[in-house]
Amino acid sequence: MMNIKDLTVNIGDKTILKGLNLDVEKGSVHAIMGLNGSGKSTLSKAIVGHYDVTVQSGNIRYNDKEITTMEPEARALEGIFLSFQNPIEIPGVNNAYFLRTALNAKREHEGKKALNAAEFLKAMRTKVEELGMKPEMIQRSLNEGFSGGEKKRNEILQMEMLEPDLIILDEIDSGLDIDALRAVAEGINRMKNGERSFIIITHYSRILDYIDPDYIHVLQDGKIVKTGGAELVKTLEAEGYKGIAESSS
Amino acid sequence: MSAAPLQIRPAELPELFATDSRTKAMLARLNELGIPGNKTEQYKHFGIKPLLAKDYTRIDAQQGEPQISGKVLSICDGVVTGVPKGVAVSFSTDFQADMQHYDALYYLSHLLTPRCIVLTVEEDAAITVVHQLTQEESLTAYRLVVNVAPQVKASFYETFENEESSGSLLLYGLDVSVGRDAALTWVRNQSSSEMSAVVIGSHRYDVAAQGKLTLQTFDLGAGNALHLYKNDLAEQTEANVAHLLFGTGQAHLGNVVNLRHNGRSAKSVHEAKSILKDRATGIFDGLIRVGHDARYTTARQNAKAILLNDNAFMESKPQLEIYTDELEASHGSTTGELDEAALFYLRSRGISLEAARKILILSFVNEMIDAVEDNEEAEAIRAAFDTAYATKEIL
Ligand SMILES: Nc1ncnc2c1ncn2[C@@H]1O[C@H](COP(=O)(O)OP(=O)(O)OP(=O)(O)O)[C@@H](O)[C@H]1O
Ligand SMILES: [Mg+2]
Repeated sequence: MMNIKDLTVNIGDKTILKGLNLDVEKGSVHAIMGLNGSGKSTLSKAIVGHYDVTVQSGNIRYNDKEITTMEPEARALEGIFLSFQNPIEIPGVNNAYFLRTALNAKREHEGKKALNAAEFLKAMRTKVEELGMKPEMIQRSLNEGFSGGEKKRNEILQMEMLEPDLIILDEIDSGLDIDALRAVAEGINRMKNGERSFIIITHYSRILDYIDPDYIHVLQDGKIVKTGGAELVKTLEAEGYKGIAESSS
Repeated sequence: MSAAPLQIRPAELPELFATDSRTKAMLARLNELGIPGNKTEQYKHFGIKPLLAKDYTRIDAQQGEPQISGKVLSICDGVVTGVPKGVAVSFSTDFQADMQHYDALYYLSHLLTPRCIVLTVEEDAAITVVHQLTQEESLTAYRLVVNVAPQVKASFYETFENEESSGSLLLYGLDVSVGRDAALTWVRNQSSSEMSAVVIGSHRYDVAAQGKLTLQTFDLGAGNALHLYKNDLAEQTEANVAHLLFGTGQAHLGNVVNLRHNGRSAKSVHEAKSILKDRATGIFDGLIRVGHDARYTTARQNAKAILLNDNAFMESKPQLEIYTDELEASHGSTTGELDEAALFYLRSRGISLEAARKILILSFVNEMIDAVEDNEEAEAIRAAFDTAYATKEIL
């Protein structure tokens, strides 16, 4: 589904990713772990085409298409979704209106007919309830005044409504209470259908217990330095990141 | 309608007007302030000089025979053609203008206006004022006096129909008095294009004790319009003044506002939001003056502008002038671009750049449009905004 090859990425004039490789096949679940500042969010930004990053060399192929030069909205319409580490607040933009606009853009792209306000709201309400969000979130301004956990749930809500094919979750579990973590994990598991792929960036094993990843990758110094199965989390939790790079090289 | 060529040359002014004491006093003020030029602070970015130096056909406002027409006061080329039911409309040749106005054109428009149109509102009313201009290359001057009686609630919705009046100049203005305990809402919805007359409005609102003034203005499109306000607030008054400006093409649109707290315990909120596209210029020059006798004033002023491209320009000048100690006052001004992070967030969900820009622009303007109490008026403003938004610059 996605192949990243020799990806070198700058933020400003600082090189953050230095020849990174990653293959994500259809239906697979990947976790990416690594120290603060190692470049995990930068990788996610490079995949969705964030303006902070400039791709210096290498490629990202998604469904056999090179996407590094595609506009962010085109990548989204092709099925790539990023749940942001820090979702921003957009005052004055109604949450439901925003999400309906996004969903209808996607439906139009897929040649489906647009949902009217009533049809859309019905679907949104169901999801809001499933995620244990307050119904008032529907009519509030996008993320404005939302608590940290509410913002994360709102990202999951968007994911579920937009039904993307490649889902990148950047620290979706940070700052969530126990119930919220479960609700979010259930939301993610509902999305698993053997076709969709996931990249879950996290610092903790807890969410991985719910989600059951196929691969754990360690990102260090702009590259993936180690890949293992679920058992790698336990090693990391016990021993930290020290020695990972040496042991793999 | 009589037509005689007119150019506004200071030296010729005295000969143009009668010489009674009222006229003399206004002439003296006009001479003191001087005909505005490119260095006059309030007109600096408006390009006033060629406008006043041009040869116009002078349209003399006649009294006419107005029709009673529901709730609409219509003024066509300075002639009252329709008057609202239940509101007294008369004409006055001896209206006493405010002798402290800062704007020379306040006096010039009074001097050029033989008879002010006077509206007296003695019971609660909602009135629409329509200004129609049908002549090209012409100068039209008239003034409207509105007296809202004590304790009365009045709302005015002012709009312009001047799409085929290119090369013309309208010098008009309002002298509004809001009686004790009265409440006035004045909404100006002004759309214009490069085919519209240039409009200069020079106004004065005088709010008596415990009166309430809500002034909401919407300047939209590619035309040229400048409004200059002097708003006097007596004790315990409340003023909410809000301007939304969306300039496109080569528009010059602006509001110059002097909000004067003259008595104690008055509250004012003054907000300006401007969006400039293409090569448009926006002007916000807002002064809140808190006088010696205006203790316990609360005054809040805020100006925000968004420039949609490099050639757009915003002159934003919020000012506070304070002559008393006990007050709460704040002001701020920001000019920037659309928030890149917000744009990206929307695009990352599949919304096109164009649609994302529009969503953010609407989020910026909606609050002010929603604040218009009358739903029909708010919808008309929204529609006018959409039209202005969809118009492409004519190069
Ligand atoms: N906009 C920016 N300007 C300058 N430097 C940046 C910017 N964004 C990221 N960086 C730098 O790039 C490096 C990688 O940051 P990134 O956000 O990818 O780390 P991360 O692995 O996601 O860390 P964390 O676990 O703390 O979220 C850091 O050194 C960071 O300071
Ligand atoms: Mg990060």
